[in-house]
Amino acid sequence: MSEAQRSVAEFIRRFSDAYILQDGPFLTPLIAVSSCPPSPALFSVANSLSPNQDWGRFLKPFDAQLGEIVNHHLRAIQFFYSGRYADAYSAFEKSANVFLQEFRNWETAWALQPLYTIAYEIRVLAEKADQELASHGKNPEKLKGAGSFLMKVFGALATKGPKRVGALHVTCQLFKIYFKLGTVHLCRSVIRSIETARIFDFEEFPLRDKVTYMYYTGRLEVYNENFLAADQKLTYALTHCNPKRTSNIRMIVKYLVPVKLSLGILPKESLLERCNLPEYLNAVQALKRGDIRLLRRALSEHEDRFLKSGVYLVIEKLELQVYQRMMKKIYMLQKLKDPAKAHQVKMEVVVKASRWLEMDMDIDEVECIMAILIYKNLMKGYFAHKSKVVVLSKQDPFPKLNGKPVGD
Amino acid sequence: MDLESNSVEKQQTEGGGQEHHPSMYPSAMPGHQPGILAARPATVEWNYPRANASSLENGIPSISGYHDDQRTKDPAAFQDGKSALSSTGASTTHDYSAYINNQNPADPYSHAYQSQYYNYQHSTTDSSHQQVGIVQDTGATYQPLSSFQNASSYPQTNYSSTYYNPGDYQTTAGYQPQAAGYQSSDYTQQTNAWNNGNYASHQYSAYSVPDANAAQYSSSPAVDATHYQQQYGQWPGYYNQTAPDVMCAPGTEHMARSSVSGGSSLPDLNQGYPAKSNQPPPPGTTSWRQDPPASSSPYFQGKDVAGFSQTNDWQNRPLVFGNTPRAQAPPHFQQTLGSPTFVSVDEQRKTGYAKSPKMPFTPPGQVRPNFRPALNPLPTLEGLRGSKFQIPTNPRIATNLAFSVSKTDKESAEKDASIAPAYINVSVPSSTGEGTSHDSSQSLAKGAFPPSLRAYVERSFARCKDDAQRLSNQNILKEIITKATADGTLFTQDWDTEPLFTLPATSADNVSKGPQISFSLLSLNKLKRSPSRRAKSRWEPVVEEKPPVLTTNLNPVASDSTILNRFTPKTVAEAKFAMPPSSTFRSPRKQAKKTRFSDPYPVQNGGVSSDSDKDQELTKLLSGAISMVDSPEERRKREHRSKRFEKSQEGKAGGHKNKAFRAGGGRNKKSKIPFTAKFDDAPRLAVEDMDWDSFTVRGTCQEIEKRYLRLTSAPDPSTVRPEGVLEKALALVQSTPKNYLYKCDQLKSIRQDLTVQRIRNEFTVKVYETHARLALEAGDLPEFNQCQSQLKTLYGEGINGCHFEFAAYNLLCVIRHSSTNRELVASMARLTPVAKRDEAVKHALQVRAAVTAGNYVLFFRLYKKAPNLSPCLMDLYVEKMRFEAIKCMSKSYRPTVPVSFVSQILGFSDGEDCADWLRAHGAAITAHADGNLLVDSKATAAGLYMPEPDDAVPHGDSNLAVDDFFTAKF
Repeated sequence: MSEAQRSVAEFIRRFSDAYILQDGPFLTPLIAVSSCPPSPALFSVANSLSPNQDWGRFLKPFDAQLGEIVNHHLRAIQFFYSGRYADAYSAFEKSANVFLQEFRNWETAWALQPLYTIAYEIRVLAEKADQELASHGKNPEKLKGAGSFLMKVFGALATKGPKRVGALHVTCQLFKIYFKLGTVHLCRSVIRSIETARIFDFEEFPLRDKVTYMYYTGRLEVYNENFLAADQKLTYALTHCNPKRTSNIRMIVKYLVPVKLSLGILPKESLLERCNLPEYLNAVQALKRGDIRLLRRALSEHEDRFLKSGVYLVIEKLELQVYQRMMKKIYMLQKLKDPAKAHQVKMEVVVKASRWLEMDMDIDEVECIMAILIYKNLMKGYFAHKSKVVVLSKQDPFPKLNGKPVGD
Repeated sequence: MDLESNSVEKQQTEGGGQEHHPSMYPSAMPGHQPGILAARPATVEWNYPRANASSLENGIPSISGYHDDQRTKDPAAFQDGKSALSSTGASTTHDYSAYINNQNPADPYSHAYQSQYYNYQHSTTDSSHQQVGIVQDTGATYQPLSSFQNASSYPQTNYSSTYYNPGDYQTTAGYQPQAAGYQSSDYTQQTNAWNNGNYASHQYSAYSVPDANAAQYSSSPAVDATHYQQQYGQWPGYYNQTAPDVMCAPGTEHMARSSVSGGSSLPDLNQGYPAKSNQPPPPGTTSWRQDPPASSSPYFQGKDVAGFSQTNDWQNRPLVFGNTPRAQAPPHFQQTLGSPTFVSVDEQRKTGYAKSPKMPFTPPGQVRPNFRPALNPLPTLEGLRGSKFQIPTNPRIATNLAFSVSKTDKESAEKDASIAPAYINVSVPSSTGEGTSHDSSQSLAKGAFPPSLRAYVERSFARCKDDAQRLSNQNILKEIITKATADGTLFTQDWDTEPLFTLPATSADNVSKGPQISFSLLSLNKLKRSPSRRAKSRWEPVVEEKPPVLTTNLNPVASDSTILNRFTPKTVAEAKFAMPPSSTFRSPRKQAKKTRFSDPYPVQNGGVSSDSDKDQELTKLLSGAISMVDSPEERRKREHRSKRFEKSQEGKAGGHKNKAFRAGGGRNKKSKIPFTAKFDDAPRLAVEDMDWDSFTVRGTCQEIEKRYLRLTSAPDPSTVRPEGVLEKALALVQSTPKNYLYKCDQLKSIRQDLTVQRIRNEFTVKVYETHARLALEAGDLPEFNQCQSQLKTLYGEGINGCHFEFAAYNLLCVIRHSSTNRELVASMARLTPVAKRDEAVKHALQVRAAVTAGNYVLFFRLYKKAPNLSPCLMDLYVEKMRFEAIKCMSKSYRPTVPVSFVSQILGFSDGEDCADWLRAHGAAITAHADGNLLVDSKATAAGLYMPEPDDAVPHGDSNLAVDDFFTAKF
């Protein structure tokens, strides 16, 4: 028996031992094909596998299912380490399918950890496979396939009994796939299941899964411009996430900042700096100063980033708040000059102000913006068309949002 | 004739009754009838007796009985006509009336059944003769549904009306031929067993106790078993006989393979007929009729044949039901239509069946003549055609297919008037001789052929511009199909990709070829059909399913008229069949058959056959029939071929083929066959490794104009235009003064042709762009969206076009459609920096910003300078933006806003326009002292509403308004 064969036999022995003894922690590292660095056992077998190697005789002692799992798994390892990710994915999915089949039959949840690893690995492998396929001009469809596999896994977990606590983890993996594929509408069914099915008690799930779940559902709410719900979910994620995971914190804050801005709550500069989110600095400044030009600049400078993360429209909508701030500034300046007439703002003043800000607006457009400000309750008062004057309320002419969305 | 007739009959019926019955299918009927007459108990007894007798006798005796009956048929018809008719005159009339009544009801079939029931009842009341007559009548009633009816109707109908008879005969004949062909080849044993058993029991049950039997039939195997066995026995006999006939058929030779079954049956028929009455060719009826009658008549005449056919039909029904009934039924109708006699028949029916006795005689004569013609090869062919058609109508329609059949019937009935629904339907439909042939071919195509072939046939017919072309087309088709059948490629060939043959400018030429080929084709078709049907039944166990229904229905006894009726017809028919098989036919045919198919039939018939057994039997039969057609060489070839498909099956010659047929039975499977067949030889290829390019269609059509028709099958290259022609077509569309509906139709067909040929280039983009623009101009958003999404992928493939223009349109669309902002953001993110510098795209982005910000001033300014067709899309927001704007203004402006200002801001053409709009939306407008109109903002804010759109239409799309539709010129 050559060295390579011995190492393959050793791997199979370890795998089967862990499998038969239902030792999840021991089995998990053997499954993590893409883990870096790989577990020693995985690493040694990966270096021993060759394309034409036949390890069938090592599998003879085992039942058909285990044999199939190990067989495909070894193939997946071999393909993965030879850089053939699409093949690796296919082999891994075969192995995972048999494993899932067996998983359904197990009463206990011992295999949850290995299953988590499978769910993770299948997603990572699918992403790599799709990259490879795309680079060869083929249709990248593996991630979609991984999505449907994970839906099967979710189905296997959405039962009464100890396995149900794993459902949220798989859900989060699904979210990752769907967000990556841009098919977030597919999240809806899973969310509905998680939030309405009686077998699930949200508090029962592991915290890390809850945080991930809240993060993704919060992002969905940002898309829907449902800022209050988004604020609540993202805040939950931020307060419960591991404070040492700065990258996770940054991801959460990246969405939480625009949400808070929409609700009229401005972040400290230090927070943005600490989280390395400079793209919001200008927007925050614009809000503080009422400088529409600055906001526009921020939008155009970071357009790609905002579009990619999906907060572009959220930032753009801050415009009204910026105008509100600008009007407030005008109002305060007039108050300094002539308190008696401060509540009457002439349109020509506003037009002049916007010219200073290099905004090319004529009186009709300014009038329109004033009307919208009043309409959206960002400004109390009325507009007298005949005299082209905004008459501001003498009491709290510029109400603060205080955590309420604009126009509410 | 009756002599040997089923011992059962004898047992059951009194001598006289039997005698009369003999003619029948009646024999079967007779048995029933007697029972009926006797009263339920009697019937019960009868039924059992029959079973017993038949069982005892083993199919053979019963067969003999059948034969006798069949033979007697003519006589019987005559007899009936004479004795029964004369005596039965009243009964017949009753029957007719019953028919009429039935017909009036919605479903012809059900009516027919009911009528039959009625008839039965009448018969019971009437004397035995009357009963016989009734029986016949019932048969007639049934006939519409099944061949049986025809047979029975024959005598009666003959009396009453030639039309009826012809139609019935034809139908029956068709049935028989087909059935014969099918049965002889495959179906016979199994189907027979099932059908017979079931039907027989049903029939019996219908009559009286039979209900119980029927129930048994469906539910309880034991009771049925006896019946079945008996029937089986009979059937085997029949089969044997038929088989021999088939063998004999070769005698017909002309027909060759296809005709074989028919031919065989025909000879017998002829014989029987001649004996009965050598009447000259049928006068009024077209050849069509004649043929069908001939075929049917043969069976009937040779009661054995009739029995066969009937039985076959029944059998077939269960299996084939879906396919045959529909296809066949329509053909019948058409055929009948074609012949004037039919019409008259209907009328006659209407007028008076009572008088029918007289009429019947003449009609019978016609029928007989018909039969004789049938004897001739050509006639036989025709008969076959007819038979095909007929087959469908008869059995299955009544039983399984009731729905589909009934539809057709209804239609026909409507056409005819009010009289006999089923019959009328049959007769009414089609045109003349040509029509018949077409019909037959079409029907054939519909029936047993693979859907792809059917589609092929339809396609080929679709391009025919006149009857002549149709005729030639039909003839060519026949040749093709015959050839395919002979080659064994009928079910393996990919008809979807098979190019259409070129049509001769005029078609008369083919006529000469005509009869033989067509006949053979027809027969082949029939054969084919039966297999497919069979397979269908196998996968969708119609028969099995039905039984339960039957049981429930039947159990209630006669009271459940509808259910009973349905079943009864069958049962009656079966009974007839079972009974009819007369000894005369039997012995020769049986033997002959035995020699051929000897082993399987008897055994299978005798025992309770399982599904698989049946299948095997059928396959054997079918294969046998097919093989008979071919030369040894052919057979060998075919065997070789078939082995590819069915390695597991032991190879009886032709068996393979049958299997293939069967496999093709399931619709899904059918469609797959071509591919599997194609790749069977080579090592199996993964789907992704298949060379799909080889399936790409290359159009040959040179027509520039083409109407759009959504494809329901694989495209036919002869109707697909190549790119060069499509370019002309596009130019035509662009220059035509016709309206959008025409252009849209043309463009859709261009797009379809591009798609099926997988042409994706700049021309494709141009077509889609053109269509998208036209759709925009016409406000046809659904069509625009289709084009837009296609363009997106086309641009995505790097094909050049007006990319930016449509990117702008896309943006404008997304603003409107996206319920969430995610899509909007995504499409904005997809824009390249270059695209963002494009004027149209910039404009669209500004519009997007104006819409999301609710900046109405900006929006209407952008509207005024919108490039290309963007205003068309922006129109979609105008109303909404205006309403939002007035809401906003009424809340923020105090105390008033001049209408002129609103008009200017919101892009109205003038103040009057604006005032109207404002009023329509609930704004409060006051007139100022200086004459200017003012919006009272405070009052307006409370009263704004969105009015219902003026042009709202119930279906939600004013573009589909009826007016426009009717004025549309294509």
